[in-house]
Amino acid sequence: MSEPIKRRGMSGKDVITVGIFSAIYFVINFAFMLLGGLHPLLWILMPGFIALFTGIPYLMMCAKVQKVGSVLLMGLITGLIYYVTGQFTVVILVSFVLACGLAELTRGLTHYRSMAGNLVSFVLFSVGMVGSPLPIWLMREDFLRQITEQGMPADYVNTLEALSSNVMLVVLFLAPVVGAIIGGFIARAMFRKHFEKAGLV
Amino acid sequence: METEQRIFDPRAGLWLLIAANLIAFRPHAFWLELALIGLLLVLILGHGRLTMAAKWAVGYCALVAFQQFILPMSPMIIATSFTIFATYTRRMFPCLMTGALMLTCTPLRYLIVALRQLHIPQKLIVAISVTLRYFPAIREEIGYIRDAMKLRNIRGLDRLECTVMPLMVSATETAEELSAAAVTRGIENPARKTSAVSLRISPLDFLGMLAGLALLVISFVVQ
Repeated sequence: MSEPIKRRGMSGKDVITVGIFSAIYFVINFAFMLLGGLHPLLWILMPGFIALFTGIPYLMMCAKVQKVGSVLLMGLITGLIYYVTGQFTVVILVSFVLACGLAELTRGLTHYRSMAGNLVSFVLFSVGMVGSPLPIWLMREDFLRQITEQGMPADYVNTLEALSSNVMLVVLFLAPVVGAIIGGFIARAMFRKHFEKAGLV
Repeated sequence: METEQRIFDPRAGLWLLIAANLIAFRPHAFWLELALIGLLLVLILGHGRLTMAAKWAVGYCALVAFQQFILPMSPMIIATSFTIFATYTRRMFPCLMTGALMLTCTPLRYLIVALRQLHIPQKLIVAISVTLRYFPAIREEIGYIRDAMKLRNIRGLDRLECTVMPLMVSATETAEELSAAAVTRGIENPARKTSAVSLRISPLDFLGMLAGLALLVISFVVQ
């Protein structure tokens, strides 16, 4: 575990480690997704919240499995479970795979060991979650048309339009970046405080 | 072989999910949506889940009624909160139904066999099955941690840290133990795995797949 092995596939052990940390990641992810059902604004900020809290399992996984494909695998699992349970769409699968590919590339370029490289890859990975609220914009015409048909008051239409405006789209993409940076630093503090002393990392 | 017949073929499930997803993101008429919901209800009924079918049917009607009648009349704050949610849920409803059907009627090992047949890499399959199996373990673990925190009277923000740390430590340990067990059982053997269960698609599931394809084609042809 201690010496970095490059250009070699993951062993059975690595795959299992990734699987277990993906489960923890998914549980946190899922909790915030349920919260996102309460209000669209929470939903739009959801990728940010998730990034804030998943730093520890993600970076822990990175520290444990320093091999090609670990991040990609983690993202694929999360995307696939969401997909198979029907909660999310093809959109999230695509955004996840893209984000994971980039995160994986970052780790590869920084040779898997560097904390800074892992942090950057975590930021990229977190951005993958934007695939969840993204359909708001894809379905925008649909619900705007529907509420106009129903003769809703103008201020109501305006609220919804504001929520799905391009400014919010920027917020959607910025939230996970900010969240991931803060989450990453929290995780790093935790690593220093506990894991390194315990010899886990 | 009563139980054997009740298994919802995972390949049919995966295909229907693709179809339902594609239909959801195309502009489609109400009748097409109804047809898709109907098809899934028939499938659920065909697998002998009467109460489940009833629940989903009632849920769908409630959602449509909520969207059409209650939302226009409700106060502003509720309406803004739920319009997007309701529209989204209604679009994703067929996907949710398929997912629920797969969760109840497709055991994990059948899903694994199906994924293998579809030539999904073995590593991905192993990781997915480990993830799915670890969920109950997480719940159990958190229960223990909570008890321990009560004993030591830990409150406030400390609780967060005191939950995360043991969870991470136990996850690391489980990973080590599980992989030792899995390696002993030959997980790293590169040979093709055999399986005790054989997948045979039932006529009902096959018809379901065809009907899904038909609906998909219709959604592209009829605008």
